[in-house]
Amino acid sequence: MMESFIDYTLAYIKEQNPIHYKKALKNIKELKKDDFFERATTFLDKYDQLLENNGKTRKYAIDCYLKLLADYTHEGLIFRETGKYSSTSFDEVNKRVYANPEIMQYYMHGLLVSQFLWKHHYVLLKYYIENLAHYVTAKSYLEIGGGHGLYVNEALNAFSEDTTFDVVDISESSINMAKHFVNNEKVNFIHTDVFDFHPKNKYDFITMGEVLEHVEDPVKLLLKVKDLLKPSGTLFLTTPTNAPAIDHLYLFRNYPDILAVLQKAGFCIENEIKVYAEDVSEEMAEEFKITMMFGGFLIKKL
Amino acid sequence: MNQKQQIILDLNEIFTDIIDEGEIMLNPETTANDIDGWDSLNHIQILAAIEKKYTFKFTLTEIQNLKNIDDLTNIIVQKTSA
Ligand SMILES: C[S@@+](CC[C@H](N)C(=O)[O-])C[C@H]1O[C@@H](n2cnc3c(N)ncnc32)[C@H](O)[C@@H]1O
Repeated sequence: MMESFIDYTLAYIKEQNPIHYKKALKNIKELKKDDFFERATTFLDKYDQLLENNGKTRKYAIDCYLKLLADYTHEGLIFRETGKYSSTSFDEVNKRVYANPEIMQYYMHGLLVSQFLWKHHYVLLKYYIENLAHYVTAKSYLEIGGGHGLYVNEALNAFSEDTTFDVVDISESSINMAKHFVNNEKVNFIHTDVFDFHPKNKYDFITMGEVLEHVEDPVKLLLKVKDLLKPSGTLFLTTPTNAPAIDHLYLFRNYPDILAVLQKAGFCIENEIKVYAEDVSEEMAEEFKITMMFGGFLIKKL
Repeated sequence: MNQKQQIILDLNEIFTDIIDEGEIMLNPETTANDIDGWDSLNHIQILAAIEKKYTFKFTLTEIQNLKNIDDLTNIIVQKTSA
């Protein structure tokens, strides 16, 4: 039998990036204890298949991930010094990142690998999967900025046969990757900026994972999403605080910053989760501006 | 003492201070495998402290290729002699 993706990854990271290895090992140990681990293994088998079909190797995937980490460290240094994200304009990020296949490819592969190596990513994914069960009556599903496609892949498993699935993403590279990963005719992939997306019908359920911090004006984006949602529809949203990255524009400094934006756009939280990227106390997290991932099921305020 | 030895002494101080787990003895071959507390959280603080002490900025490529103390020393030598 082939070595598991996770064991391969750990061995490779130990060799290539001992600094990060400690965190990866700790997270994987916790993941292995969790019942989610089996699920993760299923995803990674699927991912192995995608890599093979695209003539790529596991080494390629982990190299993408390590490159992503270096990127984050680099941006992190700038953030520590300036207290700001380095990018300020959507047009610039669009040109430099989303429309650049070379960057986008390594970025999406790296991000997919991070879904299992970072606690704040796999805990969020697990939370999503476990709670989707409450929304299985949804007949129409939209995902905004689907990226690698992991979330829509899960929605396909959860919702019923007759649900329709649309995914919009501004990056063609993301669309291509998600198409290959999901590998299901039922999903309709649309290459567009969400602000230019004007479908005939509204949606019962919308997922928007890690997109809100990618726009200059998050309230404007949420208002757009609100318009795409049926009156009784649900939005699953994730967004991080203090997460310097090449394509992040809007800085949420803390949880209240996120709440303020949701409130302003007219959303209420039905259910939420918050996970720090490092195992540190709340005070330490605040002092070192540790990334916190927020995830929530939201409804329109009456 | 040559320049590189001096830099390693300075790095010793920075590492000891940030990792805060007793005296650290670095040599050119030292990697994070040899020092328990040299993890991703401390790493960024170490890099920030080095940037501040030597007044330069790490490039993305430098961060990406950094594996041991010798790499770090070489970057500092190169950046401060420019
Ligand atoms: C960080 S990825 C998130 C991927 C995935 N949803 C997740 O949670 O891991 C952000 C994605 O949003 C897309 N995106 C960014 N701005 C967008 C916009 N204005 N309209 C549509 N997609 C956008 C990017 O191309 C990218 O694929």
